[in-house]
Amino acid sequence: MDIEIFPHRVLGSDTTEKLLNDLESLEDVKRTVIQGPRFPKGEATLPPKYQERRVINVNGENVVLQVKTARIFLELTMESTIKEIEEICEKHIPFGFDINQDRSNYIRKQKTVTDRIKYGDADIPDELVGMTDQYSTFDDHVNIIKKDD
Amino acid sequence: MVQIYPGTSQVAQNRRNFTNPEYELEKLREISDEDVVKILGHKAPGEEYKSVHPPLDEMDEPDDSVRELVAPIDGAKAGDRIRYIQFVDSMYFAPAQPFLRARSYLSRFRGIDTGTLSGRQVVEARERDLEKLSKTLLETEYFDTARTGIRGAGVHGHSLRLDENGLMFDMLRRQVFNKETGKVEMVKDQVGRELDEPVVLGEPLDEETLRAKTTIYRIDGEAYKDDVDAVKVCQRIHVSRSFGAFNPVTGW
Repeated sequence: MDIEIFPHRVLGSDTTEKLLNDLESLEDVKRTVIQGPRFPKGEATLPPKYQERRVINVNGENVVLQVKTARIFLELTMESTIKEIEEICEKHIPFGFDINQDRSNYIRKQKTVTDRIKYGDADIPDELVGMTDQYSTFDDHVNIIKKDD
Repeated sequence: MVQIYPGTSQVAQNRRNFTNPEYELEKLREISDEDVVKILGHKAPGEEYKSVHPPLDEMDEPDDSVRELVAPIDGAKAGDRIRYIQFVDSMYFAPAQPFLRARSYLSRFRGIDTGTLSGRQVVEARERDLEKLSKTLLETEYFDTARTGIRGAGVHGHSLRLDENGLMFDMLRRQVFNKETGKVEMVKDQVGRELDEPVVLGEPLDEETLRAKTTIYRIDGEAYKDDVDAVKVCQRIHVSRSFGAFNPVTGW
């Protein structure tokens, strides 16, 4: 099952880092997608005091943020995990958030024509389907983070 | 007593304050004349005002009683160009909002033309008068550095979720948050041309102050339906408008 975390404000890099670290530490979270507005093109040329974008560290893995966090999609197996997620969100998101479960799929599970055009006949593992924005390259947008086990 | 706006809520009182020309608005920050010119971007600071016609004194105008009655504003007297400033107010408890801006501008300033749209509000005036009124608008309660945007172009964002630090979305990134000082700085002028030096606008107001100063009815703030007096007046206007001159008892 998938859920969507919808914070009432768009999160910056620091909060995203803290939130993702705690979410990734949960055993039951299989896949995570961050969705939101892209950082503006000139971001890197700004003086550091104005910059919002930075490389964040999630479970020891460096993740280059491409977007500001406006929604987080999570793939879970058990409904009981939602309570833990709620506690984590309450800790890191002081201005409120919603956890939505209305749709069965927030992360796409089927391969599409675009996938085929992009990757050809290559055998894409199931866990990578739906992880990438179809208008960008795969490496830019997907980070594989190993769990501690 | 002048009846400006009905209602008993704080929002209604704030609306009355803005619209009442006798009420003195609270000054929240200091912005120099030069910075105002930079933000507007219509001319370089220190540059002479360009004119579109000779000064009125030198013009041979036809005799007209209205011309004698109405004293021209400074800019018109000198023959300045007409220039504008445009604001965008976030729906998240910004101090002002477009319709209120229009009402209050018209009761506070002379010689202006103002246009209201759902997300933005433009005001036009002769250049030197515009600079004066812009200074008032930027320094007083009308403006919050985070929830109000000065945007001549690329206005999108009034209804979008705020950033974590309280700033409204701005696709041209004119007003940016300085992490080191905690102040909002304007790095581009109102249409997005880079400024040589950023203009420091000041710290954003905190959430509580904004909620006390806002003129926006919101279900998570003060709801419009709870302001019984304001709703009653609105309904009365609606009914009398709908009937027009029609009398349901006697017919036409």
